[in-house]
Amino acid sequence: MAGRRKAILDPSYEAVVVGAGNGGLGAALQLALKGVKTLLLEQHNVPGGFATSFVRGRFEFDASLHELADVGSADNAGSLRVFLDEAGTDIDWVAIPEAYRVILTDENLNVRVPFGIEELIDTIESEVPGSRKAMTKYMELCKDVNGALGILGGIADSAKPDRMISDFMSFVRDSDNPIEEIASIVRKLMNLLRVISKTVDQVSDEYKLPDRARAILYPYWCYLGLPMSRLSFTSWGAMLISYMTKGAYVPRMRSQELTMAMESRIRELGGRIEYNTRVEEILVERGKVTGVRTSQGDEIRTSQIIANVSPTLVYNDLISPKTEVPKIALKNVNARKHASSCIVVYMGLDTTLDELGLTDYGYFISKNMDTDEIYDSTYVLDVPIMQATTCLNNVIPDCSPPGTSIVSITTLFSMDSWSDVTPKDYFKVKNRIANGLIDQLENGTGANIRDHIEEIEVATPATFARYTRSYKGVVYGYELDPWDGVIARVVTKEDEKYIKGLEIGGGFSFMGHGYNVSLLSGRAAALSTLKEMGVKS
Amino acid sequence: MKKKNNFLGDIAGLIELLPERKRRIERASPGPIGDDPINELARSLHPQKIYFEIAEVRDETPTIRTFKLVAAPDSGTTALPVFRAGQYLAFREEVQGVVVTRPYSISSSPREALEDGFMEITVRKIPKGFLTKHIWKNWKPGSKITSSGPAGFFYHEPLRDTNHILGIAGGCGFTPFRSMIKDAIDNDLDLSITLLFGIRTPDEVIFKKELAKYKRKMGKKLKVTYVCSEPDGSWKGPSGFITKDVIKKQGGGVKGKTLFICGPPAMYRFLENELAEFKIPQKRIRREVFGEIDDITAFDEFPRGLKRKKFNIKVHIGSEVEEIQAKATETVLVAMERAGLAPQSKCRSGECGFCDSLLLDGEIFVSPENDGRRMAGVKFNHFHPCASYPVTDLEIIVNRSV
Ligand SMILES: Cc1cc2nc3c(=O)[nH]c(=O)nc-3n(C[C@H](O)[C@H](O)[C@H](O)COP(=O)(O)OP(=O)(O)OC[C@H]3O[C@@H](n4cnc5c(N)ncnc54)[C@H](O)[C@@H]3O)c2cc1C
Ligand code: FES
Repeated sequence: MAGRRKAILDPSYEAVVVGAGNGGLGAALQLALKGVKTLLLEQHNVPGGFATSFVRGRFEFDASLHELADVGSADNAGSLRVFLDEAGTDIDWVAIPEAYRVILTDENLNVRVPFGIEELIDTIESEVPGSRKAMTKYMELCKDVNGALGILGGIADSAKPDRMISDFMSFVRDSDNPIEEIASIVRKLMNLLRVISKTVDQVSDEYKLPDRARAILYPYWCYLGLPMSRLSFTSWGAMLISYMTKGAYVPRMRSQELTMAMESRIRELGGRIEYNTRVEEILVERGKVTGVRTSQGDEIRTSQIIANVSPTLVYNDLISPKTEVPKIALKNVNARKHASSCIVVYMGLDTTLDELGLTDYGYFISKNMDTDEIYDSTYVLDVPIMQATTCLNNVIPDCSPPGTSIVSITTLFSMDSWSDVTPKDYFKVKNRIANGLIDQLENGTGANIRDHIEEIEVATPATFARYTRSYKGVVYGYELDPWDGVIARVVTKEDEKYIKGLEIGGGFSFMGHGYNVSLLSGRAAALSTLKEMGVKS
Repeated sequence: MKKKNNFLGDIAGLIELLPERKRRIERASPGPIGDDPINELARSLHPQKIYFEIAEVRDETPTIRTFKLVAAPDSGTTALPVFRAGQYLAFREEVQGVVVTRPYSISSSPREALEDGFMEITVRKIPKGFLTKHIWKNWKPGSKITSSGPAGFFYHEPLRDTNHILGIAGGCGFTPFRSMIKDAIDNDLDLSITLLFGIRTPDEVIFKKELAKYKRKMGKKLKVTYVCSEPDGSWKGPSGFITKDVIKKQGGGVKGKTLFICGPPAMYRFLENELAEFKIPQKRIRREVFGEIDDITAFDEFPRGLKRKKFNIKVHIGSEVEEIQAKATETVLVAMERAGLAPQSKCRSGECGFCDSLLLDGEIFVSPENDGRRMAGVKFNHFHPCASYPVTDLEIIVNRSV
């Protein structure tokens, strides 16, 4: 390069975090909080990975966020808010007023679903008279499962995951604790055990939930991305309870506020962040990490690495030399199935949501709520039959200039159906699908979108691959079948750690995908790293 | 940790979850993952860099040259990417020991890149221009040059725009429209193009011959009018600037059209007034970015009394720290380029975010017409050096370039 040597980095760090998505940022933040000399490396030139925003004309779009679970209000804080507050990040959270509106065009169903377990049951009862009893029991079960998960690993409810189990043990041992509470804990655990290997459909059948009740209850499935005939009930139940009891939030300045707030805090705490720096090799010697090599030619020594990268890529592409990759690690990642990618249509409209008659933030629009049929439709290079659409001005009225609004349509999309698209056809194909999605939105809501499009951008699996380099543009990590659900992953986490000093955080790690769990799994990875380093918590 | 996992392991094992997981993993292949067509597609659509060889140089006028570029496989580019007609490439060149970038719209069509293996750019020589002077001297057939992947948002989008483009071009702003016209012909698009091209002197008329050819192919769907501001006796077309009357008469009015405007900032300001009476909704006007503003002191918002000021900028890149000097009237990006820091940039207009950097200390003036920062970026002191001017001494963190 032009008469100039490359600016270099320090040759060694106590810990290196690979990737500045939610997981990597959560990890680096936790490490920096403990004063660990941390280097966070990111191949893109801003933090966030999927959790980013972009500007077009007068509009700023969120690349991915619909809503964040596990934030909660200041006095009913979820573990994510607790962590980020304690870490000293500056984020302006805005509450989403209601859970969603579900519109099923073939079923003549159009229902707004509020937050709150009672409110949910009431809403379904008024649409499906006679469902109250079954729904109440079902939600009790979800609560128990969520509570049990919280107790067992702090996965859903606790801000201090690593302490929960010992707390539980001492809680049980402590004779002062009332027997009723111990009994309730035991009940929760028993309930969890009962459904631990079941799918959502199996449990709904067992509880005799009417079809129409399921149709109203199920839309959130698309945040987990697996049809209810396969989705692990525990993952589902925990998510449902989290949304219903803690509500949902977005940062005022799109998800980029969340990720830049973490970035800023990491730097304040002395962590170092380098962008435009892709880790090309994770160096391993005799089963232990020793450092990384980057696209900038850095070679950095470290004994602790947290990868905000899918294990599939870690074991196939990153670990060097290849002889250090155990066969079992490759089998492990091959056994698991990559989940969906997405297509998103971002639109800046030159009219208000009011004028369009769009009254809600989140719309789930589909022909029906047959999740198998919907899932299958994402495996065809065509318009999938379900979309999840957000109308941001209904949460943040001034997120765009007066008289305008931001509407984003998202649909799950299997990356395999995108595999045959050639560069030549690319723009045509993506516009055809975007067109179909806009039709679907107009048909479902009656809003005239088309005449008001001032800015539009369409993201496909290739777009996500471009910005995050995720394998095949996968957004949703690995599929959450019961055998690879959260419980199964937590339980096997230690046994399936194949390289000493290497932790995985983010959407491909043990907690599953989504903003909150990706971020907190990065943090959990950092807690393991700290433990390994002997840093006191 | 161990205790917890054993405990959980016991209960989960009880119910056959773990044996199933074990079975599945044991049964799986230990082979490699195989290829990733999606990342391949992303790379071919958006290469980080394109390595070109100049195949041909054509003088359009004494000060305008078209360069025909083909892939340079030896340097790492085997095929040219598709792009959307109207996009630009940012070229990165070393001139007198410093590295600068400059954006140029692609003037050839997407099909030509894909099927015929070339791209063209058409460059106007800027009086006292830093890069263009170098280009005129050094860019010859056989020269190797490097650009970014295709970038920018100045293209016709059927999901958004009407199927009639009213293009208004000035300076070298004709270039993206040449690409759009060729694209419309190549793909037989349902698209009409009416173009008003403002030139200073009659000898600035370019592409005259080929336009006649395009006209034969597109018929009524293409209309091009040159509007000359300094005509001589031989000029037969309309003269003056592109006024509302020209837009009505030669442009056929604005109804049902989407305006695409590409030219120097002065033209944008002039058109603002001319277009006012048409009351065109914002969504029907697309403007190409115009690069750095030549005279930032002309802005009312620019702080007074800075014109001749110089500041120090402490630049952190990687673990290195450099102290550089900067003029108040030049962007932070240019100051860094002058100092030989070779920072990365693409649009040089505040739009693309490619130069995103972090302001640790000091104050900047951000060109109001080029402020493409994200909201969170503003909150957490990210800034775009290509659109920012120092108002005090600064301390900044800049990314190493890719
Ligand atoms: C999206 C886009 C598309 C465009 N498309 C076209 C096109 O198709 N055709 C076309 O002709 N033009 C096009 N342009 C305009 C074109 O990019 C400019 O005309 C060109 O960049 C001028 O380059 P120059 O270096 O010769 O001019 P200059 O005016 O010299 O370059 C700008 C800067 O260089 C700085 N500079 C001077 N000396 C040094 C030094 N020693 N080190 C570092 N920096 C220095 C100056 O301070 C000045 O700010 C486009 C612009 C944009 C934004
Ligand atoms: S180079 Fe595009 S924003 Fe600076």
